[in-house]
Amino acid sequence: MTDKKTQEDQVPEIKAGATLLDLVHVCRSFDGVPVIKDVNLQIRKNEFFTLVGPSGSGKTTILKMLAGMDQPTTGDIVLGGKSISALPPDKRPTCMVFQFLALFPHMTVGQNIEFPMRIKGIPRDKRVYRAQELMDMVALPEKYYDKNVMKCSGGERQRVAIARAFAYDPEILLFDEPLSAIDAKLRKTLQRELKELHRKSGKTFIYITHSLEEAMFMSDRVGVLRSGVLEQVGTPEEIYRHPNSSFVASFIGDTNIFPVKARPQGGYESPDFPGMEIKIAPTPELLEGKLIVRPESLKVVKDPSEADNVIRCKLRDSFSLGSRSQYLLTSGKKEITLELPHGACGDGTSEVLLGWNAQDAIFVKE
Amino acid sequence: MENTRQSRAARDFIRVWTVIVLIFIYLPVICDALSSLSKSRYFSFPIKRWSMDWWVKTFNSMEIGELVRNSLVIAFAVTIISTVIAFCGALAFARYDWKGKKFFQKAILLPIFFPQPVLGLALLLWFNSIGVPLSWKTAAFAHLVWITPIVTLVIAIAVYGFDPALEDAARDLGASRFQIFRMVTLPVLWPGVWSGMLFAFLLSWGNFPLSLYTTGIDNTVPKWLYSKMVAGYSPMVPTLGTMSTLAAAVVMIAGGAAVYFIRKARSRNS
Amino acid sequence: MSDKNAEKIAKPSLIARIQDLIASKGGRCAMPVYILMLLGFIAPLAMVAGFSVAEPKSFTAFTSFSLANFAALFEGSVWKSFAWSIGLAAFTTAILVPICYPVAVGMVRVFGRMGSLAVSVLSVFPMFVSENVRLYGWILFFTKKGILDGTLALLNGQGPDVLYTPGMTAFGMVYTYLPYMLFPIVLGVALVPPDLITAARDLGASRFRTWREIELPLAMPGVLIGMLLTFVLSAGAVAESKIVGGESVMVVTNEVNVAFSYSQNWPMGAAFAVTLTFIIGALTIYAFRKIDLDKILGRA
Repeated sequence: MTDKKTQEDQVPEIKAGATLLDLVHVCRSFDGVPVIKDVNLQIRKNEFFTLVGPSGSGKTTILKMLAGMDQPTTGDIVLGGKSISALPPDKRPTCMVFQFLALFPHMTVGQNIEFPMRIKGIPRDKRVYRAQELMDMVALPEKYYDKNVMKCSGGERQRVAIARAFAYDPEILLFDEPLSAIDAKLRKTLQRELKELHRKSGKTFIYITHSLEEAMFMSDRVGVLRSGVLEQVGTPEEIYRHPNSSFVASFIGDTNIFPVKARPQGGYESPDFPGMEIKIAPTPELLEGKLIVRPESLKVVKDPSEADNVIRCKLRDSFSLGSRSQYLLTSGKKEITLELPHGACGDGTSEVLLGWNAQDAIFVKE
Repeated sequence: MENTRQSRAARDFIRVWTVIVLIFIYLPVICDALSSLSKSRYFSFPIKRWSMDWWVKTFNSMEIGELVRNSLVIAFAVTIISTVIAFCGALAFARYDWKGKKFFQKAILLPIFFPQPVLGLALLLWFNSIGVPLSWKTAAFAHLVWITPIVTLVIAIAVYGFDPALEDAARDLGASRFQIFRMVTLPVLWPGVWSGMLFAFLLSWGNFPLSLYTTGIDNTVPKWLYSKMVAGYSPMVPTLGTMSTLAAAVVMIAGGAAVYFIRKARSRNS
Repeated sequence: MSDKNAEKIAKPSLIARIQDLIASKGGRCAMPVYILMLLGFIAPLAMVAGFSVAEPKSFTAFTSFSLANFAALFEGSVWKSFAWSIGLAAFTTAILVPICYPVAVGMVRVFGRMGSLAVSVLSVFPMFVSENVRLYGWILFFTKKGILDGTLALLNGQGPDVLYTPGMTAFGMVYTYLPYMLFPIVLGVALVPPDLITAARDLGASRFRTWREIELPLAMPGVLIGMLLTFVLSAGAVAESKIVGGESVMVVTNEVNVAFSYSQNWPMGAAFAVTLTFIIGALTIYAFRKIDLDKILGRA
C-alpha cells in the first residue's frame, strides 16, 4: 500500500539525460535576508551533478529544499513536470546522505539499512535479502550485518549511510558533503567508489561540496554557487577551461588574475604592469575586465620574443610539491604563482622573465 | 607517560581526601546500621549482644507496612508523572531553539534553588486555602514540584547529546512523526529517560521536608521516622532507616545495572 | 521585520509571550512544566505573599491589608533567627567549597572513568536517603555511650559533648548539603579543557598560578552554582537544627513553622517566609543572569 503511494509520487518515465529536476527562479530568504537569489537550474536524469561553493554560499540550503526539509520563499521546484515545492521529505523520491551521516546509534548496520524498508512495510525476509544485496553493493562484508554502527570506522559508516539511502529506493540521491570529515587518502577511494556506484545504479546523484577538486573528479556537471547566486553551470572541463568569472577561476585553484582595461591608443594594459601592452586573444568586446592566467600557462623565457606577453619578476619563495615546485614571484607589487619543475626559476639572485601566450589566458568580465 | 597536570603528591592528596569525604558521608549510615543490629532497647557501644530482632519486629509491623505502601504509592505516581512532564520539558530545554528558551531554562531551576521546607509550608498554606484535604496525593504533588525540574535536567543532558539530524534522516527515509518518535527519538534517549525515572523514584522515596508538611494523615517512612526521633529513642528508627537506605541502594544498583546492560546489549558484537 | 523590531523595543506583553509559547514546538513542550510550576510553585508563593499582608491572625488572604506582620520581624527574637540562618548558610557554603573542590578535581582528572563513576554514585546516593535518617546516625555517633564515646571509653577516654549545639547544627548542614556543592563543581571543573592547563604549565606558570589564573576562572560557573545552591538550601533548612542541633538555635523555617502551627498566626509565618524568599530569590535571580546553562550542561 505504502509502495503504491510512493509510486504515485514517482516521476513519469523520463529518458536518461532529459531534464528531471527543474529549479525555477528559486529564492530563499531567512528573516528577510536573501540567501538564495533567483537560482535557475535543470538537473538531468541519471547525471552526477555537483553544487560547489564556499561555506555560506547557500549550497546546503538548496539541498535542503530539494530534500523537502526547507521550502523556497518564491520560485518553484519541479520534478518531471510536477511541482514538489510543498511536498514533505517523506513524500519525495529523494533521499539524503547527511554530512554527519545521521546513522541511528541504537541500531546495527543491518537495522539501519532496513529502516526505510521497515517503514514501507516490506516483509522481513525480503528486507534482509535486500539489505545483504546493498551491503554487497557498497562493499561491506556480510558479517557486518549485526555490527553496531557506532563501532564501524569512518569509511564503513559512510557505506552504511549510502546503503541506507539506496534502501529507500529514491529516484534522486542527495549528498551533503559526506566526505568532508574523512582523511584525504580514504576520501579519494570513496570518491572513486561513489562515482562507480553512480554508474552502476543509474540513479541521479546531487552532491554538494566546498571542494571544486572533489566536484571535478566525480561529476558529470558542476554548478558553482557564490553568495546564493549560481555563477556557472557546466562540465568540469568547461568550468576549468572557460570560467565565466574570476571567482570561478580562483575557486578551482591557485591562479593569477590581472585587472585589464583598453588603452586609448588601442590594445590593453594592466595597472599591475604599468606601461606594458597586454595582448589578449581573441580580442574581447569589453573595454574592461580581468585576465586569468593559470600557473601552468606561464613559462620561463629567455627572450621577450618567446611569448606574447612577457613580464619581469623576482623570485620570492618556492614550495616543493614533490616532482614539481610551486614558485611565488613578484613583479612590482603583484604576486604571481606558478608550477614548474625544480630549479626552473633560478636561484632568486637574478630577474626571471615570465611569459604566456595570448590564447592561453582567459578574459572575463569580472 | 608522566602526567604533567597533577603532581604525584597532589594526586595522592586528592585520593586520600576523597576517601575521607566518603567516610564522612557514610559514617552515620553505618552508625544507623550498627545500632539496628543491637538487641538492647537502649543503644550503647560497643554492642554487647548482636541480633536481628529489631529487623524482624520492624518487618512484621503493620504500621510500618502501611508507611511503606504510602511511600511506594507516592514514589510510583511521582516517577510516572514527573518523567512524562520532564521528557517534554527536556526537549524544550535542550532540543528545540525557541524564543522563550533561555527564560524557561532558568525558570525551571527555581524550585530546585528553593528550600524544600519553605516550599512545603507554602504548599500547606495553599492547599488549606483552596480547600484541598491533605493526603498522599497532595504529598505526591508537592514532590512533583521539586522533582520534575531535576528529572528535566537529567533527561536534558541526554537530549543535548541527541543529533537532530537523526529525526530529519528518519523523516527523509519515509517515517511518520509517530514512527520517528517510537523508532528513533525515544530509543536513543531511553538511557536518559530511565536515569530520570530512577532519580524521580529515589528522590521521592527519600524525601522528608516536603512530606513533613503535605502528607496529612497518610504518613510516609521519612516522616514517621522523624516523629519517632523527636519523641525519644526507639531501635525501630535506625532499623527502618537502614532498611529504607538498603531498599534505595538496591533500586539504584538494579536500575543502574539495567542501563548498563541495555547499553552493553546495544554495543555488543565485534 | 517591522513587527520584530517593535517587539524588541517594547517589552512583550504576557499575551504575546503566551502566543509565542504556543506557536513554537519548544514552547508547547515547555507547557506541562509551566503549568505544574504555576500551580505548585507560583500560586503557593503568591498565596503566601497574600497572607503576609493580611491582618495578623486572620485565616483568609486578600481580604485585609496590614504591614504589621513585617513589623513583627523586628520585635522579639525573630531577627536573630534570620541572622542565624544566614550565618549558618554562609558558613556552610564557605566551608564546603574547599571540601568539595579537590574531590571534584579528582573526579574529572584523577580517578579515571570507572573511578569517578564510583565516586559520583557514592556521593549521589545520600540524596536518596532522607536527611533525618542520616543526621540521626550522627546522634548515634556522638551521643553518650554512642559509637565515638564507646570507642574512646575502651581507651579510657571520653567523647566530646557536642550534640545539640549551634556548632552541631552547622556540622549537620555541612554534612547534608555536601552533594549539592559537589556536583555543580564537578560540572564546572569539567568545563576546563585539560590542554589549557598543560599549555599554561608549558608557558612557565607555576601550579598555583595555573590554578588561580586558568583553572579556577574557567570552573567558576560551576563553583558559583554550587555556592548558590548550598546557600539557598541551608538558609531554609530545618532538619539539622531540630535533629542534631536540638533547637539550640531557632532557624527561620522553624519560626515559619511555629507561626503556622502552634501560634496559628498564618500571616506572620507568611511574612517570615516572604522575607526569606525575597532574600533567596534576589540572590538566585542575580546569579542566574550571569550563567549560560547550555554551556554548562550541553558540553557533553
